[in-house]
Amino acid sequence: MSVAARSWASLRRNALPIYAGFAVAYMLIPIVVIAVFSFGDTPKDKLTFGLDDGFTLEYWRTIFSNTQLNEAFTTSLRLAALSTVISTAIGTLMAIALVRHKFVGRRAANLLIVIPMATPEVVIGAALLSMFIYYTFALGFTTLLIAHVMFSISFVVVVVRSRLIGFDRHLEEAAADLGATPLATFRTVTLPLLAPGVVAAALLAFALSIDDFVISNFNSGTTVTFPLYVYGVSLRGIPVQVNALATLLFVVAVICVALVLWQQRRAERLAAVRPEREPAAPIPAPPAQATT
Amino acid sequence: MTSLRQRLVPYWLLGPGLLWLVVFFVVPMYFMGELALRSGSLTTGFTFDWAWSNFPDSLSGHSEQVVRSFVYAGTATVLSLLIAYPLAYAIAFRAGRFKPLLLFAVIAPFFTTYLIRTIAWKTILSDDSPLVSVLQTLALIPEDGRVLATSGAVIAGLTYNFLPFMILPLYANLERLDLRLVEAAKDLYSSSRQAFLRVTLPLTMPGIVAGVLLTFIPAFGDYVNAQLLGGTGQAMVGNVIQSLYLNQRDYPEAAALSFLMMALILAVVVVYIRFAGTGAFMGDEDEETSR
Amino acid sequence: MRIRNSRLVVALATFALTLGLAACGDDTVGGGNSDDVTTAKAGRATGDLTISNWPGYIDPGPKGTVAEFEDKTGVSVNYIEDINSNDGFFGKLQPQLEQGEAGGRSLFVVADYMAKQMYDLGYLQEIERDDLPTVFENILPSLESPAFDPQRKFSVPWQGGMTGIWVDTSKAPEIRSVNDLFDPKYKGKVTMLDELRETPALVMLAEGVDPAEASADEWLKAIDKLKSAADSGQIRKFTGNEYTEDLTAGNIVAAIGWSGDASLIENENAEWRMPTEGCTQWMENMVIPVGAPNTPAAIEWMNFVYQPEVAADITGYVEYISPVQGVKDILEKEGSELADSEIVFPTEEFTRNCTGQNTPPELERVNEAWQNVLTG
Repeated sequence: MSVAARSWASLRRNALPIYAGFAVAYMLIPIVVIAVFSFGDTPKDKLTFGLDDGFTLEYWRTIFSNTQLNEAFTTSLRLAALSTVISTAIGTLMAIALVRHKFVGRRAANLLIVIPMATPEVVIGAALLSMFIYYTFALGFTTLLIAHVMFSISFVVVVVRSRLIGFDRHLEEAAADLGATPLATFRTVTLPLLAPGVVAAALLAFALSIDDFVISNFNSGTTVTFPLYVYGVSLRGIPVQVNALATLLFVVAVICVALVLWQQRRAERLAAVRPEREPAAPIPAPPAQATT
Repeated sequence: MTSLRQRLVPYWLLGPGLLWLVVFFVVPMYFMGELALRSGSLTTGFTFDWAWSNFPDSLSGHSEQVVRSFVYAGTATVLSLLIAYPLAYAIAFRAGRFKPLLLFAVIAPFFTTYLIRTIAWKTILSDDSPLVSVLQTLALIPEDGRVLATSGAVIAGLTYNFLPFMILPLYANLERLDLRLVEAAKDLYSSSRQAFLRVTLPLTMPGIVAGVLLTFIPAFGDYVNAQLLGGTGQAMVGNVIQSLYLNQRDYPEAAALSFLMMALILAVVVVYIRFAGTGAFMGDEDEETSR
Repeated sequence: MRIRNSRLVVALATFALTLGLAACGDDTVGGGNSDDVTTAKAGRATGDLTISNWPGYIDPGPKGTVAEFEDKTGVSVNYIEDINSNDGFFGKLQPQLEQGEAGGRSLFVVADYMAKQMYDLGYLQEIERDDLPTVFENILPSLESPAFDPQRKFSVPWQGGMTGIWVDTSKAPEIRSVNDLFDPKYKGKVTMLDELRETPALVMLAEGVDPAEASADEWLKAIDKLKSAADSGQIRKFTGNEYTEDLTAGNIVAAIGWSGDASLIENENAEWRMPTEGCTQWMENMVIPVGAPNTPAAIEWMNFVYQPEVAADITGYVEYISPVQGVKDILEKEGSELADSEIVFPTEEFTRNCTGQNTPPELERVNEAWQNVLTG
C-alpha cells in the first residue's frame, strides 16, 4: 500500500478514538475556561469572566476569604453528604427488593420510582413548595435535604439495580452451601460485590445534590447553597474565588477517582489475579452502569 | 416454602423509600393539582372553586413556549445522541486502559456547578470571542451575526449540559453488548454497516431509549439555559412557570401549566416506549432471568 | 394484563385521593392579614442579626460597615446578599411572610413600591419614630415624607439611584434618549431592564407621556412597542443586573441600567447618561418584617448607618445616592472624586424631568402583558 493509502487506512481505523478524544475535549472546555479565569486579576475583586488584566494567584490564596461563599459551599457539602448517605441507603434496599423479589405491587413501585425522573425539576420544586406552604413548614436546610433525597432515590435505584441484574447468584449460593447465614452472606459476599454499583450510585447522588439549582431555588428559604450563591452573584459579578472553588472541587474529584483506581489496580496486582478480559473491565463498573 | 416473614421482606426493604417518595413526591403533586383548581390573586386570596379553566387557559396563553421547548429539547436530544453514541461506543470497546478515565471525564462536568458551566459557555460564546470570530470566518454565521441570545446558543447549552445523561445509559448498555454477535453477522457476509444497523443498533435500543428520555425530559423543563444564553424570544416553558410562580405570583396558572407539562411528558414517554419498545426502563421481570 | 391493572389502580387511587382531600381543604389560602400591625420593639442590641440585601450594596470585608457595626455593638451580623429582584425576593419569601415568618431575617432592603405592597399585605412591622433618632436627625429633608409612607412608619431609606442609559461611547456615542435605542442600526445590540416600573415607564417618558398619570392603556401601548422591538430582535434581551456583563464583554452598545453600576462594568468607554427626556428615580428602603427575631438590633443598625461617617463609607464604595445629609462634605474632605459626581449627588436641575417608580393602574392586567413580553 502507498503511504497515503496506509495513512488513510490508519485514520479510518482510529477514527473512533480520535473522535472520542475530540468529544471528551468538548466536554472539558468549560472546565478549562473556569480554571483559566480563576487566575484572572481584576480590581475590586469582582469580575464576571475576564482575563485582560493579567495573571495572579491572589484568588487562590484568598480562596476561603469570602465568608458567604464559604458558608454556601460548606452548606452544599453538608447537604450533599447527608443526602447521599440517606438516598444511597434507601435506594440500595429498594433496588434489592425490586430485583430479587417478586411481589404484589412491583410494577406500581417501579412506576413510582421512574416518574420523578420523568418530571422536570421546575415541577418538582414548585410542587414541593406548594406542600410546604400548605403545612407552613419552615423552608430551610431540612426542606432542601428532603427534596434532594427525593430526587436522588430514583437514580440510586436505577444504578444499583443495573448492577444487581448482572450479579452472579451462584456466589451467594456457594456461601450458603458453606454454612453462612443469610445475613453473613449479605455482609461478606453480596455487599462487597455490590459495592462498585453502590459507590457509583453514591457518586451520582452526590453530584446531583451538589449541582442542583432549580429545586433548591424553590425550597431553600434563607439557606444558601453553592449554586444558589453563584446564581445570586452571577447577576452582579462573580467573585473570582467562585471560579477557584469550582476548579478546586473538580481537582479534588479527579484526585479521589484517581486514588480509587490506583487502589484497585494495586489490589489486583497484590492478589495476583489476572482478569481474563481487558484489565479495565472490572474497574469501570463504578461510574459505568450509572443510568439505564 | 415462602414463609410470611419472607414474603414481607421486600416490603420492609421498599418501605422507607416508597414512603419518602409518596410523602414528598406524590403528595406535593396532589397539592399542585389542588392549587391549579383555585382562582384569585395574592391580595384577594386563592379560593378553591374547581377552576378547571386554568388548564386550557394556561396552555393557550403559552402555546408558543411549549412548542419552542419541544423543538429545543428535541434538537438538543438528537444532537446529544449523535455526539454520545460514538463516544460511548469508543469508551466501551476501544478505550482499554483509559476506560475509567474517560468515564470520569464524562461525569466530571457535574462537579462544577451547572450554573458556572453555563456561565462559562456564555463567555466562550460572547460576541467578541475567538470562537465566534472563527465561526464568522467560516461563514457559519453572518459577518455581524452572534451566537449568544439566539436559539442556537440555548440548544448548544442544553446539548452540552445533558450530554452525560445520554452517554451513561448508552455506555451501560453498550458495555453489555456481546461483540461475538457482530462477528457472527460478519461471518454471515454482512458488511460493517449492515452489521451495525441490524445487530448493534437493535440490541442497544434500550440504552438509546433510556438516554433519549433522560435527556429530553429535563431539557424540556429547563429554564437556566434559556435565561443565561438566550435573549428575547427564546423563553421556554420552564421560564414561563418560573415567572408565573415568582414574578406574577399567579400560583393557580403556574400549577396548571406545570401539571400539563408533566402530562405532556408522560404522554411522550409512553408513546416512545411503546414505539421503541423496551422493558429496561421500567424494570422488566425478565431482566433477572436473562443472565 | 397485570401491567395495565396495577397502573390503572394507582391512577385511580391517586385521583380518588385528590378528590377526597380536596373536600377537606381550606377554601381560601392567602390574601394577607393587614389588620393587626405590630410595632417593632426597640431595646439593647445583642445577639444575632440577619440582614438580606442586594449584592454590592455595602462595603465588605474586615474594615467594612458590617464589621464596624459588629465591633461597636457586639451584635453578630449575618449579612446575606440574596435579593436580586424585588419580585423574585417577594415571590420567594411570600409564603413565609403570609404565616408571619421571615425566614430568620430581621431586616431587608426593597424598593418603595415593594415596601408598600408588603405593608399593605401586613408583612411589615412599624417602627416608632422615637426609636430612630439618628435617622431622623440626618435624613435628607426631601426623603422625610414620601408619598408611599408619609410618616415613615415602616420604611427607612437605604440607598437610591437613577435608571438611565449606559452607553458604550466608543461604539455608539450619539445615543442620548431612550428613543435612540429603537434605532434599527443598533439592532440586537441593545438590552433593557426587566422591571415593569422602569422600562415601560422610560418608554412612555420618551413619548411624552407622564408615567405618574398614565392610564392603563398608555402603559399597554408602551408595552406593545417593546413587544414589537423584542420580536423583531431589536432588543437583544431583557435583563436584571446582568447587563453589566454584556457591556463588559462588548456584546451590546447600550443598555437601560442603573446609575451606580460603574464598579461592575469593566469597560472604560461605558458611561451612564441621563436620557434627554428624563429618568426614573428610586430609593430602596430598609424594612423590618413580621417575625423578625431581633428587632432591637435591626433598629440599632438603622441608626448606625445614618451616622454621616458610616454613610460616607458606604457611599464611597457603593457609589449610589445616599439618603444621609453631610455625606458629600465628608467625601469632599477625603478628596474623593465622587463628591463632584452628578450621579452620586444629583442636583434638582439634573433630575428635573425624572419620575419616581410608578405603579400602573390595573396592575394585574398590565403586569401580565409585561410578563408576556419578558417570556416571549
